[in-house]
Amino acid sequence: MTKPRFRRLLPGAALVLGVALTSTACLNQGPAASSDGQGEVGGTIQVAWWGGESRNAKTNAVIEQFNEDFPEVTTETQSADYAQYFNRLNVQASSRSLPCVVQMQDRQVNDYVKRQTLQPLDDMVASGAIDTSKIPPAVLDGGRGSDGKLYFIPYGIAWDALMVNTTLAEEAGVGAPPESWDWDQFVSYVSQAKDGLPDGTYAVAAGGEEQNAFYAWAVGQGIEVFNAEGQLGFTKEQLKEYWSLWLDLQEQGIALPPDMSAEEPPGADQGYLATGQLMVGVLPGNSLYVSQQTLDGRDGGELQAARYPDGPAGIGNILVASGFGISSNCDNVPTSAAFIDFFTNDVDAQVAFAADNGAPTNTEVLDALTAEDSELPDLKRDELEQYRAISEDNPPKVNYPPGFNAVFQQAFTRNYNEVAFGRLTLDQAVDSFFNETNASLG
Amino acid sequence: MTTTLSAPPQPTRVPRPWDARTQRPAGNRVVKGVIKHAVLLCVLLIMLYPLLWMVGASFRPGNQTFAGLSLFSDTYTLQNYADGWSVGNLNFSRYFVNSAIITIGQIVGNLVACSLTAYAFARLEFPFKRVLFGMVIATMLLPQHVTLIPKYIIFNQMGWVDTYLPLTVPHFFAVDAFFIFLMVQFIRTLPKSLDESARIDGCGHWGIFWRIIMPMSLPAIGTTAMFTFVWAWNDLLGPLLYLPSSDLWTVSLGLNSFLDQTGQSTYGTLFAMATLSLAPIVGFFIASQRLLVEGIATTGLK
Amino acid sequence: MTLATATEPPVALPTAPRRGRGRTQLLPALAFLTPWLVGMVLFTFGPMLYSLYLSFTRYDLLSNPEWVGLQNYALMGSDPRFWKSVGVTLTYVVVFVPLLQVVSMLVALLLNSRLRFLTGYRALFYLPSLMGASVAVAALWRQVFGADGLVNAVLGLVGIENVGSWVGDPARALGTIITLNLWAFGSTMIIFLAGLRQVPRELLEAAEVDGASKIRRFFSITLPMMTPLVFFNVLMGTINAFQSFTGAYVVSGGSGGPVDSTLFYTLYLYERGFTQLQMGYASAMAWVLLIVLAVVTGIFFRSSRYWVHYGDES
Repeated sequence: MTKPRFRRLLPGAALVLGVALTSTACLNQGPAASSDGQGEVGGTIQVAWWGGESRNAKTNAVIEQFNEDFPEVTTETQSADYAQYFNRLNVQASSRSLPCVVQMQDRQVNDYVKRQTLQPLDDMVASGAIDTSKIPPAVLDGGRGSDGKLYFIPYGIAWDALMVNTTLAEEAGVGAPPESWDWDQFVSYVSQAKDGLPDGTYAVAAGGEEQNAFYAWAVGQGIEVFNAEGQLGFTKEQLKEYWSLWLDLQEQGIALPPDMSAEEPPGADQGYLATGQLMVGVLPGNSLYVSQQTLDGRDGGELQAARYPDGPAGIGNILVASGFGISSNCDNVPTSAAFIDFFTNDVDAQVAFAADNGAPTNTEVLDALTAEDSELPDLKRDELEQYRAISEDNPPKVNYPPGFNAVFQQAFTRNYNEVAFGRLTLDQAVDSFFNETNASLG
Repeated sequence: MTTTLSAPPQPTRVPRPWDARTQRPAGNRVVKGVIKHAVLLCVLLIMLYPLLWMVGASFRPGNQTFAGLSLFSDTYTLQNYADGWSVGNLNFSRYFVNSAIITIGQIVGNLVACSLTAYAFARLEFPFKRVLFGMVIATMLLPQHVTLIPKYIIFNQMGWVDTYLPLTVPHFFAVDAFFIFLMVQFIRTLPKSLDESARIDGCGHWGIFWRIIMPMSLPAIGTTAMFTFVWAWNDLLGPLLYLPSSDLWTVSLGLNSFLDQTGQSTYGTLFAMATLSLAPIVGFFIASQRLLVEGIATTGLK
Repeated sequence: MTLATATEPPVALPTAPRRGRGRTQLLPALAFLTPWLVGMVLFTFGPMLYSLYLSFTRYDLLSNPEWVGLQNYALMGSDPRFWKSVGVTLTYVVVFVPLLQVVSMLVALLLNSRLRFLTGYRALFYLPSLMGASVAVAALWRQVFGADGLVNAVLGLVGIENVGSWVGDPARALGTIITLNLWAFGSTMIIFLAGLRQVPRELLEAAEVDGASKIRRFFSITLPMMTPLVFFNVLMGTINAFQSFTGAYVVSGGSGGPVDSTLFYTLYLYERGFTQLQMGYASAMAWVLLIVLAVVTGIFFRSSRYWVHYGDES
């Protein structure tokens, strides 16, 4: 009498399982038909970005302006910290319920391109729904996927750079860094500074674990970091050479030791550069202003951005592009396109946004923000001028393959530190890095 | 009356431990008490240092948050509290209200559903009891991260995303096996003869559950309510997935928004709001502690 | 009940033999179990089975799962980071679980005594566990165990210098996570405290009259009466330790670093599933853990009949 009762549960369980299975199965219907973005602007869109409270406030200010221009549109917003933003995006993608307008970066856009989670925007640009005429073509290319199509419109460019605490550098007797230099000059600059620095202060960050510093080194030598197949484009010998350079600096007490580097809090405003414990840091350009604010609180000196050392092949500073794209499951493409167009090109809106996520790609906006009457703090303006200088130098573009964001950074940092902590030999660590990344890339 | 208490007939006036103590020299007792308090306070000071430091740092100017190990500083400011409270388009009070709604929903759900379930497993005989109880335990053995996706798919199909429902409704269906197990263990410490005598007095199962077991289980109920409060209040992943819109954000999401690895973090405001967010939990703890303390005394096991 | 050492063996009242009632209480049981059964079917069972299915697939969240049979399970054997995470987790379980139980019980006993300001003390000892997974914890832990943290400052006072970072050193980082989770012993303590409240005062007083020492009273009366809750705390402590996630996630920023020294099993599982988008592999890891935990739990329940005493048994 009881058995049947228990059995009655099974169909129910099976039903739920079935629903779960079929619901994912029929969700993946491939990409939506390519749209030119023309049509009625109205209804509701969701806009998602990464960032903390201060960026949320600025983005919301832009959205308010958008809603004044388009009162018939309701804009729902979603934001979260960088890592959690992408975790949530992936979960939403699993049930094809992505927000219409999603923020992307060139570092992981190909993960979504490969799985057809984003709509190509080329037709929308061609039809005039999204205006890209004010964005330099080389900068716009940052939004292209590995298939050559445009998947997001870059609105902000982070450029990776060295940050130098010039007050500490004067104290150490090496003075401000030169306008441009090569790697040998850079190494002797930080080496000479070592003895003149106060106790507990280091001349340079642990650059061996920083993927961006590695690109600068590699790109300057004319090495393609990723090849056309989306696998590692450099050799084991080249990685060994780069890591040895930094291991030496760490061993001599010039670069930050690995244990201190491991406990460094994420975010520029509490890093060692911001606390005055570091003379040369490796940070994205938009952290200059943030770090200086903390440094001011402890009279820690003045910061200045410096160019990466050049290599035989030229400049090593690479650009990182962030911008908005449209998800394939979006059912309100015209409005989404209108939003992206507004966010990227409206000068008033971008002035309000104050280059919070890197230098503006739209040259009119850039001019407005660096103009005499701009209300931007001086350091922030310096940051934008630096970008202008670098972007005019035709900086190289790194084509990040799918899987890059998932493995490369973590494996790079971890395997380097396995050597720095003396747990693996250099050869072992390089082998392990190549195995790990090549298995997940492409 | 019960097996455990049917021990030797007790003298009419049991000499209580504290009676005995009063006979010792009063001075000795005071010294002992002082030492005990001194030891406790020392241990607490070490234990609570990180929290005290956080409270101290929350009153420092924003660019001196990490100025040192000291609990004190030269200048104090309320700026962090003002900034934190007026975050975003809303303000932090909205996050408190949202967190409270979810937390209360979960507490009520867990108390009702888990106690009913626990009574059945602890006191009733039915077929497949061991198998079903095994299933209760089994649900706790699978890391929750791998069921996130199927759950999200289900709630998304039901149209529940961006509402409080995914975070509250399941708790009315006893999905928190931890509390079922806790209450089962608790109820099983209670002598079964209590039920028998209630049955003789004409109580049905509902009567036994409601009049005997529940009043006797007040400590377990208090514990369940307390734990649910803490877990719901601190939960980040659930609200992150199911409440993406910022007007539904909870306190934990609000706290998280003060940190930004790609831009500007404001640790000062984070510490200020984290300090404030502790207040409701501490208040609830002190309130529900009465349940823990008085549970047995008020119901009177005699 | 084994109270025999302190008091005369209690005379068991004749209760009905366990199965002598002759009929099960199916209908009332169903009534009481309905919410749970519905929840099981709707919210728990389906997702669990689905994750079991996923463990036999390659699934990147963004496209359809693709059946690969036992491949995920086979890959685990040759995955060095998988074994690292197993090592970290086992070390953690062996060290942490006993420590947690002893500390919680000792403090619970202390807070069960007659002392002034007891309510205040209880709240203060419980306070750390209220912080939970708060993002602030990472910053606080650096404040204590960082290179310039409190611990090194104290060591510096007694002349021990240049100790370096604790959270940043792979040889010591796991220790700081253990300390962090031990710091939040409050919830385990609360359960013990609730259990201590259940021990009838009369029994303890009677034992004291008989001249039993404090320690004797604890081991002969208090502890046996509390065994169901001790059982609960040890079992749940073990299960939670195997699944420990939050502390290491917050302190290491999700990486399990430095160099995988705090790469807990579930942390690695999470990285695989959500960062590397290999949910199939993550699901397989989860089911391996479930099987291990099922065996552990089974052993616990088996052993419980020898040392756990329920009030509902005669």
